[in-house]
Amino acid sequence: MRAKVKTRAFLVGLVVVLACAAAGAQDVIIVTYKGTWDSQITASQLREIFTGVRSRFADGTRAVPVVLKGGPVHEVFLRKHVGEGPNEFRAHWRKAVFTGQGSMLKEFASEGALLDYVSVTPGAIGYVSRVNDPESVRVVTVSP
Amino acid sequence: MARRGLLVVLLWLCAGGLPAQDLGNIQIHGFATQGFLFSSNNNYLTMQSTRGSLQWTEGAISVTDPLTDNLRFGIQVHMYQMGQLGGPNVLVDWASGDYKLNDRLGFRAGKIKITMGLYNDSQDVDSLFLWILLPQCMYGDDNRDFDLALEGGEVYGGVDLETRGRVLYHGYVGENRLDANGGYELQLAGYGLSFPTPPSGKIFGGDVRWQTPWRGFTVGASAQSQALDGSGPQGTLHMAPALMLAYYAEWTRGKLHLAGEYWRSPLVPVLTIGSVAIPVPADQRAWYSMASYRLTKKLQAGGYYSHYVNKAADTSLPANYSKDWVASARYDFNEYFYGKVEGHFLHGNGLGDYAVANPNGLKPNSNMLAARIGFSF
Repeated sequence: MRAKVKTRAFLVGLVVVLACAAAGAQDVIIVTYKGTWDSQITASQLREIFTGVRSRFADGTRAVPVVLKGGPVHEVFLRKHVGEGPNEFRAHWRKAVFTGQGSMLKEFASEGALLDYVSVTPGAIGYVSRVNDPESVRVVTVSP
Repeated sequence: MARRGLLVVLLWLCAGGLPAQDLGNIQIHGFATQGFLFSSNNNYLTMQSTRGSLQWTEGAISVTDPLTDNLRFGIQVHMYQMGQLGGPNVLVDWASGDYKLNDRLGFRAGKIKITMGLYNDSQDVDSLFLWILLPQCMYGDDNRDFDLALEGGEVYGGVDLETRGRVLYHGYVGENRLDANGGYELQLAGYGLSFPTPPSGKIFGGDVRWQTPWRGFTVGASAQSQALDGSGPQGTLHMAPALMLAYYAEWTRGKLHLAGEYWRSPLVPVLTIGSVAIPVPADQRAWYSMASYRLTKKLQAGGYYSHYVNKAADTSLPANYSKDWVASARYDFNEYFYGKVEGHFLHGNGLGDYAVANPNGLKPNSNMLAARIGFSF
């Protein structure tokens, strides 16, 4: 009986460790409108676009950042590319809204809806876990 | 009645599970909060807190319309009731037109929020903070309409220093006036002065902050000049332009947030009652240091120490200092709804303790428990 409990505890622990490792390893793909001039963006430019400090890409075209409403892809993106958690990110934009200094970013409930929007909106930039139709958007790489 | 109507609208929007409304490009957002204070000795912020008081309700609705890529209009209406302060009137919190030429230069005009220190422009947006009460030595809850906004204009922008970070700036000029239902008017009433038109004055200032290359670390400074004049049947109030200075630093690293500020405000308001002129000099010096940590996705905890002293007066008297040790926790039930609880250990009664709310006199020390729930969408 005792051995059974130990085995079960070990398996549960293993699943948790693997799940955490998988979550940590998950990456996101940055996508922009296909007409965007550049296929590369620096880490600081990406962070500044999503925190509202920068409103244009390096080539001068207007950036329209869009986000997922929540979920692991949203959290990984924020942690890795913005350096904030979901609560801090929401507070950051609420501050802009309630002080009259900005508008809330457009949010999407699913990656499909976000991709549809990015594919038809000049300047749009967002993130997803995978792109099924690489012709519809531009996948950009993030340089340090 | 207006207050009740505002709250009903806010609760209806929240209870319906509706996200912020985006009617095409028009965005509608809002918040509502309810606070509770219970203190051991003094009634705080004009509430009957020694008996436990729920007389603290706030709400706001903002509407923003980005007309073009560069031009945006918006308005936010706000109400608050805090003990004897505020009331059922709905105030215009800000209402402005904003033209952003590029990231380096933008203009804003109308009734605009005042950028001063880390949190002056956002201190009335409860959902942004872990704390129920921000350090009262700088962000007093009893005079927010006057301290937070001006009617005028500002320029703002940022300069990209590339590998050296980024500098953000604000410069503003305009006029502001005391809130007829705010704390300063209540204090002036204590001197026997009343004003048919709230005292007002010119204000100008600026803020420069450096977002350093060390991710999450910001340092900055603000300066502000404020004058004030008013007259009533019993006498006048005159304050020559007074310069207020602020220095601050903030560091966010993962789940950890640290911040600190130092403000100095030397000013000499002169009250004239009949033919007698009474100068009331003050040299207010204040600083705080705070730390918080996100324990889980929904739970955040932290503490701060805030220190205020009026160096122009006898600093051994409790009326001329306030030292506050604070511990706080916040739980986010979901992205719209949160609750907070906070403990205060107050030494001195130089801030937030009004004679009119404490007719039996003030005790030098008081402990306090605060709680607050809020909706924001």
